[in-house]
Amino acid sequence: MLDAERLQILTESAKYDVSCSSSGSKRANRKGGLGNASVGGICHSFTPDGRCISLLKILMSNDCLYDCEYCPNRRSADVRRASVTPEEICELTINFYMRNYIEGLFLSSAVFGTPNHTMELLTDTVIKLRKLYNFNGYIHLKGIPNADDALIMRAAKYVDRMSFNVELPSEKSLKLLAPQKTKEGLLLPMKKLRAAELYDKENKVRGGKVIPAGQTTQMIIGASPESDGQILRLTEALYRRIGLKRVYYSSYVPVVSSPKLPTIGAGLLREHRLYQADWLIRFYGFDVNEICGEGENLSAEFDPKCHWALRNMHLFPVEINTAPLETLLRVPGIGARGAYRITEARKYGALDFDNLAKMRIILKRAKHFITCKGKFYGSESANAVTAALMLDGARERQEQISMFSSPSVALSALSGEI
Amino acid sequence: MTYYLVDGSEENFYTAVFDAYKDNDCIITSERNVQLGLGFEVKDVITDGDKARRVKAKINALDRGAEEDVSLLLRSDSALKESVAFDYIKLIIANRGAVRSMLANPTVIEMTTLRTRVFGEAHRMKGLLRFMENANGVLYAPYSPDNDVTEILALHFAARFSGKQFVIHDVKRKIAAMFDGEEIVMTSAGDAEIYLSEYESYFQNLWKQYYNSVNIASRPHPKQMRGSMPVRYWKFLPEKK
Repeated sequence: MLDAERLQILTESAKYDVSCSSSGSKRANRKGGLGNASVGGICHSFTPDGRCISLLKILMSNDCLYDCEYCPNRRSADVRRASVTPEEICELTINFYMRNYIEGLFLSSAVFGTPNHTMELLTDTVIKLRKLYNFNGYIHLKGIPNADDALIMRAAKYVDRMSFNVELPSEKSLKLLAPQKTKEGLLLPMKKLRAAELYDKENKVRGGKVIPAGQTTQMIIGASPESDGQILRLTEALYRRIGLKRVYYSSYVPVVSSPKLPTIGAGLLREHRLYQADWLIRFYGFDVNEICGEGENLSAEFDPKCHWALRNMHLFPVEINTAPLETLLRVPGIGARGAYRITEARKYGALDFDNLAKMRIILKRAKHFITCKGKFYGSESANAVTAALMLDGARERQEQISMFSSPSVALSALSGEI
Repeated sequence: MTYYLVDGSEENFYTAVFDAYKDNDCIITSERNVQLGLGFEVKDVITDGDKARRVKAKINALDRGAEEDVSLLLRSDSALKESVAFDYIKLIIANRGAVRSMLANPTVIEMTTLRTRVFGEAHRMKGLLRFMENANGVLYAPYSPDNDVTEILALHFAARFSGKQFVIHDVKRKIAAMFDGEEIVMTSAGDAEIYLSEYESYFQNLWKQYYNSVNIASRPHPKQMRGSMPVRYWKFLPEKK
């Protein structure tokens, strides 16, 4: 049976994978089986860093063939090595799941032996869990770059989500910092999986769909010189062309010293701003060109939506009672849920500021950009609006830097449910 | 002013709605210790299946989701839950259809607030409930929720644990849901004596080990943790004991 020491080594190595979401799949249980997937995802615990625990995140092994500069488990690092067997993983998953500690398994591994050997062992483990242990809870499997397609597609039939990490935002940085990984080695399997997803969709496959919860990826921000504009263009392409469900950003922390790496971390505000921009692209109908020029970085002072609005003051204020949903979504301070609730409520009668307050729509920022029944309560001049929002932004940033040692933390905490 | 005193069951509440519907000066409540003044009258509502059915048929005809809204409302820990549910039913009837999306209406705001709290806690407990395995392989989960969500949880776990036996025990309300592998039975339950399986402490310890090793100690954010996992739930969580 698995001992506490190996569990510690293999879970500590896995924790830097940001993704912990268990959403997107509605796998049903079978008679006599254990588990199902809840489409909205479920968080099972929260650690003192504020992140949620939804899945048992563990590596099969941390004994890696590769020597990626930024990775604590790289070949040349002097760390304790350990590995577990498929049976040990299965036993642990079943027993944790039964006690309702977890929503499922997030299985990853260092590349040991060969990529194919590693991928085979991972696949064996998930097949064992599904068939032998009759486990129908959530499984997120990390793909091993450079493994055979056939192995990857086989695993995809049994898991809910798969992910290949693009690691770095450009091919050049990948060559420099992760010389054994190539852009093709990472993107090709993602595209193949996408093709399989689309095939299932077109042929209306019901039972046994490949990766019902889709694919995600992760990249390190600030270990290499790319601008936010470049990063967001890559993000947009990953969403629109490969149909990814999520792109995770992980702000670089100098845990490993190397002449090729910066000595200071990227800062968590940058990561936070990237997530905000990511949300605008996915849920608010923004195009990356509206948010950030290719060589530019996102504003530190303002969140990207505010920043866009301030540059487009001629479009505001908008009337709450008549503006279409797409326009409401662009008002700083009004979120996707708020915008939707406004469009529902106004069907039954015109809304005033008092109504909005009772509906718990936060007006602090929004009031500068809206009218209610023609009334306006914001600051008159564009300069005054900027000043008011700047004050607000400074307060937010201070909060994030002091008590919020990590803004990403708040988002990761939510990510279990998104 | 008339107090219609109900016993907490859905059938009894719907009977009260039938009796009180035409009474413009009344309150439906399950609170037993109301302060009575002059001119107050108390009526103990006696469940009448026929009356309850008629009210349900009426609201179902107008809005298919209404019965579920009411069912969630009545599980709330708010002292006003019956009043809010009664106002909500009256509004549906006055409006001759669903009112759920009238999001600026005060009754709908109150209804949504209570419903969200019940639904939200049920969702939260789907994650935070902890089972222990006893010597016979039965899973046992004691907890103490704010709202009465045991039945909702039992349905959720019955789908997950096909063929397995479990007990979810609300120690505050002294009720339990028992699942024998096929059917759920609700029952009253006081103190329980549990003989744990020999593996229980082994897995609890591994879980604590896991909880400690996934934490990134250099980025503490306890406020966020407590916001998502309030301290009042901790006494039932092995990782927090």
